[in-house]
Amino acid sequence: MLAVRDGDLDSMGELFERHHGPLFGYLTKLTGNRAAAEDISQVVFQRMLKYRHTYRDEGKFTAWMYHLGRRCAADHFRKSSSAPVAVDPADLADHPDEARSADESAVARDDHALLHRALGRLDRDDREVLLLSRLQELSFAEVAGILECSVGAARVRAHRALKELRDHYLQIQKEKHT
Amino acid sequence: MNCQSCSEKMAELADARLDADTAAQVRAHIGGCAECSREFGEISRMLAALDGLPQSPPSHRLRAKVMGQIETEKLTLLDQAQFASSIRSAAGGRPDGRMAWQRLVVRAIGVCAVLAAGFALGERTATQRQLADLRVRVDTMGQLVEQSVLQKRTAGDRLETVLTAARSQVPDERVIDGLINSLAFDPSVNVRLNALSGLYRHSDQDVVRAGVLACLPRESNPLVQVSEIDFLVAAKAREAAPELRKLSLDEKADADVRDSAKRAIALL
Ligand SMILES: [Zn+2]
Repeated sequence: MLAVRDGDLDSMGELFERHHGPLFGYLTKLTGNRAAAEDISQVVFQRMLKYRHTYRDEGKFTAWMYHLGRRCAADHFRKSSSAPVAVDPADLADHPDEARSADESAVARDDHALLHRALGRLDRDDREVLLLSRLQELSFAEVAGILECSVGAARVRAHRALKELRDHYLQIQKEKHT
Repeated sequence: MNCQSCSEKMAELADARLDADTAAQVRAHIGGCAECSREFGEISRMLAALDGLPQSPPSHRLRAKVMGQIETEKLTLLDQAQFASSIRSAAGGRPDGRMAWQRLVVRAIGVCAVLAAGFALGERTATQRQLADLRVRVDTMGQLVEQSVLQKRTAGDRLETVLTAARSQVPDERVIDGLINSLAFDPSVNVRLNALSGLYRHSDQDVVRAGVLACLPRESNPLVQVSEIDFLVAAKAREAAPELRKLSLDEKADADVRDSAKRAIALL
């Protein structure tokens, strides 16, 4: 990113190739909507390009990327605030990758749909902290930096969100059986 | 360690993110506490499920859009002089450095273009029909074109295609469609400018004038906007007047673009 900041825009293409997958995956789970995740991802890279002069060599590039991702997602939610996040499992289905879906057992597919539904029932803030805490490329300190809270607070919030997710998950499972 | 603080560290234990001392303490508590042991099992399963959610890649459109943005940004960094020289060579233009390059293009190619003597009323209706037809094509082809932009990935490749098309003397329909599509959709300013210069040769055709006119309101780059206006003037496209008037009054448009539009209205 330092190269990009100093005018080497080809490096921006490399950064995109390396990092857009995880960012898109995170945003898909956060929004419950592939199209929205794609739009937000695009805006994130657009802002990187536009605000490259403001990039500082403190902390990791990925932390900066998710920081921008958080802002852009918030903008997105503000614009579409009238429409609450409704997770439609069909929205998240693996359309471009039918082969892999076919490999997955029906049980696993059901399970994934259930988990997506449970995620959709979380408050957006809870979903955000939980998903950020699951990113391998971020430490808890970085997650805390992105959320602008203390490391301890980030830890507690992530933990609480995870427990809530479990409760929703079990609840949906129970609803299905009755 | 109490249950509360054990519970808060479980996720990190499962991820092996705790330092050895803390990990040992948490593990010791879990070993002796049935409640926490059960919770740890559930949390671990939940985390594994969350991490195991399948993830499919985004559509090709995301890459096309981001790469297009990078390409455009690169070109805006380039000196205008470099644009001018690439345009000049594409147009086989004269090495007259003192002239503003837009004017140069107009003269170099505009003069050899066979211009329609003006529109009769009947022809104008035909043009409108072609224009409507073109707009439909522009909409439905948008996605296809984005795909073809992706296939020819680098701006250099696309520029080469446009330059080859621009050299074509014969008013072949596919060549002209290709140039109009590039002018309408290519993310690179350089490619769009070269596509426009390739169209000068065919500016006697109604569909070409209609095509450039259809591109004008879509265009956001002032360089290309001014060049399109120059084209319409050179092609004596009087039907462009309403669009030009709109542009000359558009507060959001670049000042140079508004001036060019005003001048064009006077000339037409
Ligand atoms: Zn306990």
